[in-house]
Amino acid sequence: MKIEIDGLTKHILGTGDFISIDISKCNNCGSCILVCLVNLWGRKDNRIYISEDYKEKCLECAACYQVCDAGAISFQYPAGGTGVIYEKG
Amino acid sequence: MKTYDLIIVGAGPGGSMAAKTAAENGLKTIFFERGRKPGEKNSSGCGLGPRMWKQFPSMMKDLTPEKCPSLRAGAAARNYFINEEGIVVGYVMTRPTESVSYEPAKSWITMNCYRSEFDPWIAEFATYAGAELKNSTLIVNLLKKDGNICGVVDEHGEKYKAPIVIGADGAVSMVAKQSGLRTRWAQDQITVTPQYDFFAPPNKIDDIMGDEALAVWWSAIFPASYQVFFHDGFHQGLGNWLNKWDKNPLFYLNRVINLKYYQRLLKILDAKPRELQSHLLPWLKYPYNTHTDGVILIGDAGGFPCPLEAEGIYPAMVTGKIAAEVAAEAITSEDISKSALSKFDEMWKKTSVGEEFEAGEELYNIWKALPFSPKETMSWFVPMFMEVMGGIYDWSQPHAKRVRQIAAHVKSYMPKALPFIMKYVFPLVAKIFENDLDKIMDPQKLMSVIPKIMDLLPKKKKQRREKL
Ligand SMILES: Cc1cc2nc3c(=O)[nH]c(=O)nc-3n(C[C@H](O)[C@H](O)[C@H](O)COP(=O)(O)OP(=O)(O)OC[C@H]3O[C@@H](n4cnc5c(N)ncnc54)[C@H](O)[C@@H]3O)c2cc1C
Ligand code: SF4
Ligand code: SF4
Repeated sequence: MKIEIDGLTKHILGTGDFISIDISKCNNCGSCILVCLVNLWGRKDNRIYISEDYKEKCLECAACYQVCDAGAISFQYPAGGTGVIYEKG
Repeated sequence: MKTYDLIIVGAGPGGSMAAKTAAENGLKTIFFERGRKPGEKNSSGCGLGPRMWKQFPSMMKDLTPEKCPSLRAGAAARNYFINEEGIVVGYVMTRPTESVSYEPAKSWITMNCYRSEFDPWIAEFATYAGAELKNSTLIVNLLKKDGNICGVVDEHGEKYKAPIVIGADGAVSMVAKQSGLRTRWAQDQITVTPQYDFFAPPNKIDDIMGDEALAVWWSAIFPASYQVFFHDGFHQGLGNWLNKWDKNPLFYLNRVINLKYYQRLLKILDAKPRELQSHLLPWLKYPYNTHTDGVILIGDAGGFPCPLEAEGIYPAMVTGKIAAEVAAEAITSEDISKSALSKFDEMWKKTSVGEEFEAGEELYNIWKALPFSPKETMSWFVPMFMEVMGGIYDWSQPHAKRVRQIAAHVKSYMPKALPFIMKYVFPLVAKIFENDLDKIMDPQKLMSVIPKIMDLLPKKKKQRREKL
């Protein structure tokens, strides 16, 4: 059985961004890309970006924020009552 | 602006325990939760150990399948060993042993239930005691006046005032950050722990697992992975410190799932993946910076999960209770200064949680170097251990010869095993048994003695008849 992760998380979509990157602080180490379980970080033309649809997929683990020693990633939880829902956590 | 005696950010087990204790101490208390209800943002193993029943008996006896339908208790644990080829080369099932002294712990090792049931259950004790729970509310900042912390601000700009704020807001603590106690964990203080939940029919789990509550998959190809059984499903997860990943954590978790043995288990359990979760889990040698003027950090926010296995619910409850007691005293005596709140450290250090951290560094070090170092350590540990456990099951040789072969093979692991034992096992044993053992177990002396003893093992045995 290969596990298809799409469909294994539920979200209540909220408005407002809760993760952002300050490119001027980023040193391109790639750690955020490595630790994000659901692959929401990427690199294009040598610039790190977060996927546009991250609000629909983010697990709110904050591993990206925590791993970024350069302090380039800001993270705040999404608005109360929105975001990922764990029914069997 | 609303005014309270005590504000608690977070309604996990720590926050709820703090809110319950504070309300029972007569404090006007509010606790905030960003989820629509407690528990829907959390993921855990989630195994609850007997220490909780020992310390909070009247509460815990209320945790029944009627309240938490996912509850499953079990007396046994299984340990699988996986080699570098991804083969399950052995497993050991264990039950409570003869030396277990706490009576209930003789019949079960953990009770497991989902956080979506456990967290609301424990929060209800707090609201019943009179604390106010505000759900669906994200606290975004601390309220400050003349530089002093005097409350919190929510996402809508609403202000709540209180002389003391307890940070029960978990691993990514806003309270820790805004109070200046900690911006971010160091990479070797925090783990990320992805986890699958699988559905499985309850009768299948009963038939196949019996009363096994959990399993640990010790492996040379992924960091140790735990499996925890609930009424109608189970978790499979693994973690490691943030600076130890060389691939996506899910790559390693999928390695567990893709083991042939695991696939067979899924098949006979009739199991289907149901949810994917990822959560941070602080894992420290010792908690630090737990309080400042008007602020106390508890549970994950304070770095309290156990230094060996990162069991964190019980420590959150213990530190939550103590923090509320200290807060009540500080408010009565009108001294909320850092030095008054240092009573918090004094008190948790005297508990079972404090005792755990006495050997915190040694426990942390050995865990990091053994199950969480698959390539470096488990790659030789698993075959060495299985040589001892299973080597005798070879009927192609006379048994005595087999024993000599096994001994010789185990000896070949000594260049790796001895330094490991000296670096991680001796310090731990010495710390636990204290003092004198330091002297007996001087690594240098042992290093010179053990190989000599191993050399004494005869390579070839004389035949019995020769002696006659
Ligand atoms: C995968 C995994 C497996 C684990 N397995 C076990 C186990 O088997 N047994 C065990 O004992 N421990 C286990 N732990 C550890 C345990 O889950 C934690 O130690 C425990 O949950 C800590 O409790 P807490 O109350 O301190 O924090 P949390 O449980 O994290 O609660 C914090 C609460 O605060 C809320 N919150 C956070 N920020 C804000 C904010 N700004 N505003 C409003 N609300 C906010 C969150 O939504 C959350 O409900 C595991 C942890 C993980 C990640
Ligand atoms: S972890 Fe931080 S510094 Fe490294 S690539 Fe990501 S954003 Fe840039
Ligand atoms: S919070 Fe977790 S899931 Fe969300 S983007 Fe960061 S690493 Fe990925």
